[in-house]
Amino acid sequence: MTDAMIWLVALPLAGALATLLLPRSATAAAIGTGLATTIAAGLLLFGVATQGAQQYEIGGWTAGLGIALRADGLSALLLMMTALVVLAASVYASAYFKRPFERARFWPLWLLLWTSLNALLLSGDLFNLYVTLELLGLSAVALASLGGKHAAVEAALRYLYVGLLGSMMFLAGVSLIYAGYGTLDLATLARVVEPGPVAWSALAMMTAGLLLKTALFPLHFWLPPAHASAPAPVSAVLSALVVKAAFYLVLRLWLDVFANVVTPVAANLLGLLGAGAVLWGSWRALQAERLKLLAAYSTVAQLGYLFLFFPLLLALPPGPARDLAAGGLVMLALTHGFAKAGLFLAIGIIQQRCGHDTIRELGGTAQRLPVTIFAIALAGVALIGLPPSGAFLGKWQLLAGAVATGQWWWLVVTAIGSLLAAAYIFRVLGHAFGHQPYPNQPVTVARDEWPALLLAAMAALVLGLAGASVWELLEIGT
Amino acid sequence: MMTAQWLYGLTGCLIVALGLRGALLHDSLLQRIVAINVMGAGVFLLLIAVAYRGPGLAPDPLPHALVLTGIVVAVSATALALALVRRLHAERDDD
Amino acid sequence: MNTASLLVFDALLMLTLVGLAWAALAGSDERLSVILFIAFGLVLAVAWARLLAPDVALAEAAIGAGLSGALLLSAVGSRPRGASRTRASSMQNHTEEGNTRVLQWTITLLCAALAGILAWALLHALDIGPTDMLPQAISANLATSGVSNPVTAVLLNFRAYDTLLELAVLLAAVLGIFALGPATPGYQPAGPVFDGLVRWLVPVLILTAGYLLWVGAHAPGGAFQAGAMLAAAGVVLRLSGRSSIGLPNGLTLRIVMAAGVGMFLLVGLTLLVLGRPFLGYPPAWAGTLILMIETAAMLSIAATLLLAFHGGRPKSHALAARTESANAATSNTCNEEQTP
Repeated sequence: MTDAMIWLVALPLAGALATLLLPRSATAAAIGTGLATTIAAGLLLFGVATQGAQQYEIGGWTAGLGIALRADGLSALLLMMTALVVLAASVYASAYFKRPFERARFWPLWLLLWTSLNALLLSGDLFNLYVTLELLGLSAVALASLGGKHAAVEAALRYLYVGLLGSMMFLAGVSLIYAGYGTLDLATLARVVEPGPVAWSALAMMTAGLLLKTALFPLHFWLPPAHASAPAPVSAVLSALVVKAAFYLVLRLWLDVFANVVTPVAANLLGLLGAGAVLWGSWRALQAERLKLLAAYSTVAQLGYLFLFFPLLLALPPGPARDLAAGGLVMLALTHGFAKAGLFLAIGIIQQRCGHDTIRELGGTAQRLPVTIFAIALAGVALIGLPPSGAFLGKWQLLAGAVATGQWWWLVVTAIGSLLAAAYIFRVLGHAFGHQPYPNQPVTVARDEWPALLLAAMAALVLGLAGASVWELLEIGT
Repeated sequence: MMTAQWLYGLTGCLIVALGLRGALLHDSLLQRIVAINVMGAGVFLLLIAVAYRGPGLAPDPLPHALVLTGIVVAVSATALALALVRRLHAERDDD
Repeated sequence: MNTASLLVFDALLMLTLVGLAWAALAGSDERLSVILFIAFGLVLAVAWARLLAPDVALAEAAIGAGLSGALLLSAVGSRPRGASRTRASSMQNHTEEGNTRVLQWTITLLCAALAGILAWALLHALDIGPTDMLPQAISANLATSGVSNPVTAVLLNFRAYDTLLELAVLLAAVLGIFALGPATPGYQPAGPVFDGLVRWLVPVLILTAGYLLWVGAHAPGGAFQAGAMLAAAGVVLRLSGRSSIGLPNGLTLRIVMAAGVGMFLLVGLTLLVLGRPFLGYPPAWAGTLILMIETAAMLSIAATLLLAFHGGRPKSHALAARTESANAATSNTCNEEQTP
């Protein structure tokens, strides 16, 4: 089962080469690679669930001299989510890009993006993480600029620029760590790192770089234009997975590697920024005129919720309460991943069929594209946090933690954020269900619509109902 | 701790700060790209300074390998950024 | 060389570095910035040599100063004559005057504070360290790594996975560049002096590349430096106005682009299937496998760096031949870029 980790990186990478060398069979190669990678992710999840955390030392060299890949419950779950979202978006993309040269440009970069996501989630070495972050950034920027429209190229350039700043700051932190501790291996570092100027500065630099990449308020300015101008499958993956990867690294560094270095003050700072993200992002989403902008601002807000967990996790003593809260965090992250991907794919369908994604002019779409609107509704349920979605479980843990630690102000923020989310979701649905005389013939094309629906259903139903197993998996390794 | 390590490391810190300042303040896209490259050079100085062990002694080869990787990554990013800038200008000229 | 004169040398070098970095980022003349940046890169290469990092010095001179500089210069030179600067006008919310003085001073102070924090952390780090754990492990395992240059051993054996991903980064960048549009317009054919230089220079560059590749196993050098030399040969060919810059077309080009990553995967997965760890070379075969991977990587690096300079997919040879004859009919002796 440990080999699955290598296959998770090697398969999409080989697929990228295959789609580059054989452009005519690119779509088939890509979908085939996607299925194989998803199976590998499933095998890894199974392996972690039955045998515990896994480690793979590349080249056979001990971690430190060489690079080690590691998987525990958290990364295995995120890898599974990545695989399912990318596979669904791939199916969607195979129909979205109509012309052969568009497909020839898309598939190699798409699979390189998947490679970087998997490599990042599995990496156990600080410098290797820097390289995966750069691969992620460059392929995401290249994908976001596909189509060549002025708005997309400008947003992609800003995204690249911000990404490079973030990577440089991350690398500065890594250099300090090597200077002070002589190792780049995460597991070794977790054992030897101590509070002090080196650890604080390094963590601050790395976190600053990662916060830029995860678009935490107020460093979120680059996200809405980039996600809104990119092609639909790219937006789905950018919002659902790419920003989440940077967040995963913040989580791993703060709770795992530098666990004895972080202070409650710093955690509260993160929580404060998260609160700003929730309020500002939800407010801007409510004001958005276009669906894609609404979804992009919603991502900013939802990432804010994830950061609200930090002060709670640090205030709770290690034990069942803390584990429950950590599980809630992961639940929220997973649910958002599926929901946002489904939302963007559904919006893509609307954009293609109706020629626009202006919210005010959505009247009649509920009759014309019932499956798509239903997918949006399901995704909306998960974004607001209604039961039985996984987000409900996650937000419940957030509220429970806030009450338990006496930090009731996070409760207020969550409540306002959820109300605003309800407002902007129902605004969209209200327009979509607007009455217009239209012949009652729904237009359904399976390849387009089913991926969106399945992703949204995953978010709204499956994760919530399967919550207990998620919590069990998270016990492993953390 | 050796003087050369400390001096070159300090230079690296200064250059990182200079690069960041340039990246944040400049309007010109091209100069921002130069600034980011300068910032990278500062971080590489930090790494190589830490690897140095003194005249005649073999330095630590690991940071050397890291910096080599970093240089190639930086040139890839620069190339993509410049292509985006060129495309942006082509769009603007067509308007 | 006694320590006093070494210290003076170091002080001069550092002042030059900081001064060049400052000068490159002061002012608003883009061409000046780029030229100063190239100078900065070359002085940095001297610094690497001073700090006993010859592999890095070679790479910095060839890639960091050389190719990055070439890319930046061609970007400065290719803007239309009317535009004065590449303004990020729509990206800024500021007025046409640019940042206010307050903002400038705040950012300068914050960056100065950052330098201070980094320096403080570095001071403590150098007090705790440097630990020699990893350098000792590298020396201990060097014998079975297949090469005797420790930097090559780290790059191609101990941390080969990083190199694999780095080649993927190069590939992603070039694919992104391809997707953005056609290649930049070429240069006018060169006059007799430059042409003569090119005829001499290109073979030397190619030979040097081969030498660097071979010698990288036991002395400073390796696939990256060699690939940069080959790319430089192509850049020189392009600057002299030739249409054929040594790049193949179509499927062959794509194979060359993919060769680096492909060879890594081929070797790694074959070893995996045979029961060894991924990229775990058997000691008897390590040298040969590393050379194979390095050769493929050199070709990939050369092709991708040259394509990045080219700015896009090369035209087919037939089209290039027609263009070349048309250029020959209207050429002059000056070597400047065609107007787009």
